[in-house]
Amino acid sequence: MAEPTQPAAPSAQPALPPAGPDEVALTIDGRPLVVKKGTTVLQAAEKVGLLVPHYCYHPGLSVAGNCRMCLVEIEKMPKLQIGCATQAAQGMVVRTANERVARTRQGIMEFLLINHPLDCPICDQAGECRLQQYEAAYGAGFSRFNEEKVHAAKRESLGRHVMFDGERCIKCTRCIRFCDEVSRSHELGLLERGDHAIIGTFPGKPLDNPYSGNTVDICPVGALTLKEFRFKARVWFLKDVPSVCAGCARGCNVNLATYRNQIHRMTPRFNAEVNEYWICDPGRLSYQALEERPRLAAPLVRRGSSGAAGPHLSAGGESAGAASAVTASAGSAPADAWSGALDAAAALLRGVAQRSGGQTLAALVSARLSVEDLFMARRVLHETIGISRVAVPAHEEGDDDRLLIRRDKTPNGRGAALVGVGAPHAGRVKEILEDLAAGRVRGLVVVGEDPIGDGLLTEAARRNLDALVVVDWWRSPTAEAADVALPSCGYGEAEGVFVNFEGRAQRVRAAIRPAGQADPVWRILAALGNRFGLSGDYPSASRLFDEVASSTPVFAGLSYRALGEPGVRLKEA
Amino acid sequence: MSGTVAYEPLLLRNIDKPGSGTIDVYLAGGGYEGLRRTLKEMTPEKLLEEVKASGLRGRGGAGFPTGMKWSFLPKTKDKPRYLCVNADESEPGTFKDRLLIERDPHLVLEGIILASFAIESRRAFFYIRGEFHKGARRFQKAVEEATARGFLGKNILGSGFDLDVTVYRGAGAYICGEETALLESLEGKRGLPRIKPPFPAIVGLYGCPTIINNVETLANVTLIAERGAAWYAGLGRPPKNTGPKLYCVSGHVKRPGVYEAALGIPLMELINDRAGGLLRADRKLKAVIPGGSSMRILPAAKCDVLMDFDSLVAAGSMLGSAGVVVMDDSTCMVGALLNLAAFYAHESCGQCTPCREGTGWFVKILTRLERGEGRAEDVDLLIDVASRVEGNTICPFGEAIAWPIDSYVKTFRAEFEEHVTRRGCPIGAGAFALQAASVTGH
Amino acid sequence: MTTPVRPETDRKIDELKAAFPQPGSALLPALHAIQEEKGYISTESMEYVAGKIGVAPAFVAGVVSFYTMFQQKPVGRHHIQLCRTLPCALRGAAAIRDHLVKRLGIGVGETTKDGRFSLIEVECLGTCETAPICQVNDEEHGRLDAARVDALLESLR
Repeated sequence: MAEPTQPAAPSAQPALPPAGPDEVALTIDGRPLVVKKGTTVLQAAEKVGLLVPHYCYHPGLSVAGNCRMCLVEIEKMPKLQIGCATQAAQGMVVRTANERVARTRQGIMEFLLINHPLDCPICDQAGECRLQQYEAAYGAGFSRFNEEKVHAAKRESLGRHVMFDGERCIKCTRCIRFCDEVSRSHELGLLERGDHAIIGTFPGKPLDNPYSGNTVDICPVGALTLKEFRFKARVWFLKDVPSVCAGCARGCNVNLATYRNQIHRMTPRFNAEVNEYWICDPGRLSYQALEERPRLAAPLVRRGSSGAAGPHLSAGGESAGAASAVTASAGSAPADAWSGALDAAAALLRGVAQRSGGQTLAALVSARLSVEDLFMARRVLHETIGISRVAVPAHEEGDDDRLLIRRDKTPNGRGAALVGVGAPHAGRVKEILEDLAAGRVRGLVVVGEDPIGDGLLTEAARRNLDALVVVDWWRSPTAEAADVALPSCGYGEAEGVFVNFEGRAQRVRAAIRPAGQADPVWRILAALGNRFGLSGDYPSASRLFDEVASSTPVFAGLSYRALGEPGVRLKEA
Repeated sequence: MSGTVAYEPLLLRNIDKPGSGTIDVYLAGGGYEGLRRTLKEMTPEKLLEEVKASGLRGRGGAGFPTGMKWSFLPKTKDKPRYLCVNADESEPGTFKDRLLIERDPHLVLEGIILASFAIESRRAFFYIRGEFHKGARRFQKAVEEATARGFLGKNILGSGFDLDVTVYRGAGAYICGEETALLESLEGKRGLPRIKPPFPAIVGLYGCPTIINNVETLANVTLIAERGAAWYAGLGRPPKNTGPKLYCVSGHVKRPGVYEAALGIPLMELINDRAGGLLRADRKLKAVIPGGSSMRILPAAKCDVLMDFDSLVAAGSMLGSAGVVVMDDSTCMVGALLNLAAFYAHESCGQCTPCREGTGWFVKILTRLERGEGRAEDVDLLIDVASRVEGNTICPFGEAIAWPIDSYVKTFRAEFEEHVTRRGCPIGAGAFALQAASVTGH
Repeated sequence: MTTPVRPETDRKIDELKAAFPQPGSALLPALHAIQEEKGYISTESMEYVAGKIGVAPAFVAGVVSFYTMFQQKPVGRHHIQLCRTLPCALRGAAAIRDHLVKRLGIGVGETTKDGRFSLIEVECLGTCETAPICQVNDEEHGRLDAARVDALLESLR
């Protein structure tokens, strides 16, 4: 049969529910519903759980209407209409699942595949590819195309992070619309016309805006792939864990895709209040540090650091010595290694207090730590051990851009202020380090910071310290110079809460097991605090957060469950 | 070129005069009288009603009633209105607008001024295809002449009505003859048709209410203003097929050219009397495209038809752009269809899936058929694939390719099948006698 | 960046921008003006006109590559555009093409070594009454046959 089917005769429809002044009532596949005026048929269908298949439509971008996959039948209109661009109207009768629509979808699928390369075995998109999904759901299951396909460049680098395969592209133009409407960088254009139309950049102007990775997310097929993820893992092995990016104070919602206890990629998680559908490129790739930096896997104690003023750092050999596992005592059971190191740390700090006075102790704690970590930092370092001077280094770079990127590169500066440790403050840190250089600070606890690597603490000044206790996840220059280095969880290895720059409290999740003998910062500090008389039971991050909530008014009433996946905007934050 | 004794040309009344095209010759023939009277005696609403009453239907291809189209403009005047003249004439077999533009531009210009007055537009854009170099120069000169004599610019003929006309050249894209693609091109972009609704009368050029009219349509507006709607409505085949019509005849005829007749001239009279009949005495008529390449083909047996909008629809085709292409029996229909399929593949804008992919597919199937590499399933495949394109595209380009595929294959099915069974062209016209290098090199 | 066009063209583009309710419309006439001056539109010219009009270079590349009249490479001094569509094909355009290919010694889409002629096939030029026709630069030549083609080539220095 070649003539297009005639539209079905109007049939008896269920009674429509009443619609308010700004609403319309319609039926979709016999289901009555009410939607706001301006809602499209595609969006309305979503509301009653009906997926209208589509490629070019994206809720974060303008409507293009070019893929034609969302064609549906609307009574009284002779031609099928695209659901993405047709506004729902009062009394409209929509059919998305009849013979005519099914035949049309088959046709569109066939057209999309006639010039598409059979790349599935080597294509990253396999497993999350709309061509695969829709062919299985709506396609004929075979193609009648038996000609030479249109060929195009298959491995074209569009920019630092994005690779382009011209043959896989279905010209939906999502990537172009993203660059025009969201990043507003306009690097992409559509060149030529007809079946030789192709996406491209201008010579010398690659796709290098700070959000280029989002084009890979929104590409419905494998035409755009992320260079850092290409061929790394099949997506059906990946498990997505919802979390929040720790790259800056925005706290974009993300999914960490894990496999074999490794994070393979980060992708945006929709949050209308924070990042909508997008994340920036540095944030997207921030998990790479976990693999690239040398890990602090076990507690380390510098030889000779038993509490007395021991030999100081010297280049080479000493650090090799310090790299060996802790204590000469029998066995290397982790519990022993931990307790030995914690004992050593406590002894060192106590020693400094006794010899030089408690006011010569100071601490630097990071705004990259979670609310739980910082709560314990205050309780242990400040209240229990009695360190009066606790400062939070600032990490600022560039400017806030008009989209997501914040100048403040710490994810929990607000949280640090709210639990009483103080917001990031370069001035207070400078004071401490100046006193240190002048010999008035003799014991320093550094949690999650690297003042030596950041150029704030010199070798000479370090020699003024009788005690340098470092808690960190990697072997930073500061950790290498420490008397005691205690391994903590890196990003993605521990539960916690960050508060972003707008006062939104959001959960970061443990997606992978901590490396080596690493522990969450809050647990390490609690154990240290025990050695100074801290009592109290801290069985889990969740229970600890409950305690934060009950003792800090701004967090009152909150819990991990209450925060959920989208987080909660704190009042008076 | 202006044909038989019996018919007194209206649209082509000036083209054979020496100095035709200049404003002096135009004025001497009574030109701009209609404008003068209209500006003095009519309101825009009245002129719109006149055009409605005349029964004038668009001459670009769709045949939509012109007055009704004008009345779709919103009543509010918060945004400026624009008139765009569609001089992108690119439908294969069509060359009537070019004739008017080159040889009687003032006839068209007067219609532009009248239409702008009726729709209350202060700015008209004359979008002319880039390849009409001579036409663009001559029309620009006509605009300058008219401005110098007070028919354009501020306070035209003391009426208080202002109008500027800008000539805008296209750059080679058939799709820019589609109304919304024309607007995109005029805005300085790729000529990609827009999603409709909204229609141009509501959201058009620069987002403002816009009317797009064909060149010949506007020339007819001049006639209506000169002699009134009642007179106009008596011409042709009233009530729904009124007025004079320019017909383009090309292909296998002795005198290819533009012929004016009252709407509804019999096709065979057009071919035999006006265009001199078939080119070669030893050949017979095989097929005729009645209205530009996008229209369904008529085999010789169906050519006993009147050339007006409704008669051709009843005959299973359309008047379209009135581009009549005559083919005698030396023509291989597979070759002819391949030639057109390549045209549509080259001209597809590429925006939407069925057209972008389908047009290329048709060329590949037809190339194999013409080459003698056809497969048994190809004939039905062409028909089925065409049915998957028709109705599913952003713009009528989908129908423009689907209708020829469907009608040629169905009307000349035996010939298509013979290409398969005989592994080559049975006509022996020589494979690819109608083909371009770009097709053979596919 | 030095302007790749003459001052007159640069001024013309400024005038074009002011002539339209929205300056974006000036892009097509600006590209025509650039091609008129230089014979084609280079990458450099695209970047220049993008800056003038206020659009992205990739956008301009998209426009230039969409329209068949815009050349991205130089063409011959006499750019022969032969119509290939059905009404001309019915009147022997393919034979004219073969004749031109033989006479010029180049294929369709190519330019003679001395830069005198280039040959392309174009779609319907709307001049079917004198089929088969070609355009050479901006002039039409119709009712072509082998003899007329030879005479035309001879006359084009």
